[in-house]
Amino acid sequence: MINWSAFVVVVVVALVAAGVLVTLFSTALRVGDGDAPWRRPVSVGLYVVCGLVVAFGLYLIIPALHAG
Amino acid sequence: MLVVALVIALALFFDFTNGFHDTANAMATPIATGALKPRVAVAIAAVLNLVGAFLSTEVAQTISGGLIREGPGGVQVTPVLILAGLIGAIVWNLVTWLLGLPSSSSHALFGGLIGAVIVGAGIGAIDGGVLVSKILIPAVLAPFTAGLISFIATKIAYSITKKRERDNFKRGQVFTSALVSLAHGTNDAQKTMGVITLALIAGGLQKAGTGPELWVIVVCAVAIAVGTYTGGWRIIKTIGRGITDIEPAQGFAAEVATTATILASTHLGFALSTTQVASGSVIGTGVGRKGASVRWKTAGRIALGWLITIPASAAVGALAAFLAGLGLWGIILDVVLAAAAILVIFLRSRRNRVDHRDFHLPQPGAFVRPKKRKKAVAGG
Repeated sequence: MINWSAFVVVVVVALVAAGVLVTLFSTALRVGDGDAPWRRPVSVGLYVVCGLVVAFGLYLIIPALHAG
Repeated sequence: MLVVALVIALALFFDFTNGFHDTANAMATPIATGALKPRVAVAIAAVLNLVGAFLSTEVAQTISGGLIREGPGGVQVTPVLILAGLIGAIVWNLVTWLLGLPSSSSHALFGGLIGAVIVGAGIGAIDGGVLVSKILIPAVLAPFTAGLISFIATKIAYSITKKRERDNFKRGQVFTSALVSLAHGTNDAQKTMGVITLALIAGGLQKAGTGPELWVIVVCAVAIAVGTYTGGWRIIKTIGRGITDIEPAQGFAAEVATTATILASTHLGFALSTTQVASGSVIGTGVGRKGASVRWKTAGRIALGWLITIPASAAVGALAAFLAGLGLWGIILDVVLAAAAILVIFLRSRRNRVDHRDFHLPQPGAFVRPKKRKKAVAGG
């Protein structure tokens, strides 16, 4: 039978992950666009957080990293 | 022995078609927006598929994942049936490539095997429940799920950023598309490794219950990487240009949606097809941007392609299994016919070539922004 609960979990997780990534990257772009001195470090920080999320994605893809 | 060798050869060729069929999943959008040059994009995809194939060698114990009642009490899936199934899968993969249709290579493989097993062992050998719950329903859900997520991601990206900032999404696209490629490599090369390993075990050349030999892993990884590098330009054209016109922000949103959906589905136990997820994402992002239009006719053709993938490859697989059932000459006839079909398809494809040169022309307004260039130089 169809495992509907697994499907719902997949949808929710994917939605949240995609939403977070896009929000982070977009905000980084938005913040990075301007001359105020605070903008650049905040923007870079957001890119870094974005990178960390992607790194977590890599960690999930590569079984060797979490199997043993 | 001869049959096992043929299975290995055909499995590798299937792996190759799998690679070039699926380059588009990861690389159609960055090529369409100009985030990556076409040749660079396929090279990155090829390398990451190669790497991905080595990263994960968890090979399924059954080729079909329970679809065919294998093992004790069920049917014996012989190398001859695998051979017939592979012929079905390869022929269908090439036909869809010729038509530029992004269809699932896994479905083609399952379809081919289903056809072969029905002829070889009767329809009772197919587990209908598994067919519906593991293949048919996910195939319907995948594009809608990815489409919805991509739609929302696109809305978020466009509501946060201003127009002049959106070109920078291209930088992000490089990473997201790379991630899709890697995820693809960890999944798809394993199928061929599984097929070859099972054929070796069935042929008595390898002990049952052992994993794939090193050379199997290496040749499978290379076959899928070469296939990916060859680039299924026709399918890239369909996904990247045919469904909707893609801006960098949309490409980024679609790839994030694809990556998130595939990763979530493979790791939370509800497997979805990469191809269907990627196509759904592109449609979703087309719906999500104001002013973009989705060519539903193309989308409809793609959906139709998905619908007939299993029956069509099953039909070819069944025919091949029927011929193979006639004995050695049948098997030889099979291989000759398959080779002829492959040759005909390649000759047909030469009539209207589609290759990387078709993608160098920028889409109007899509990515030439001299203003940005100046700013980047001034900023360091």
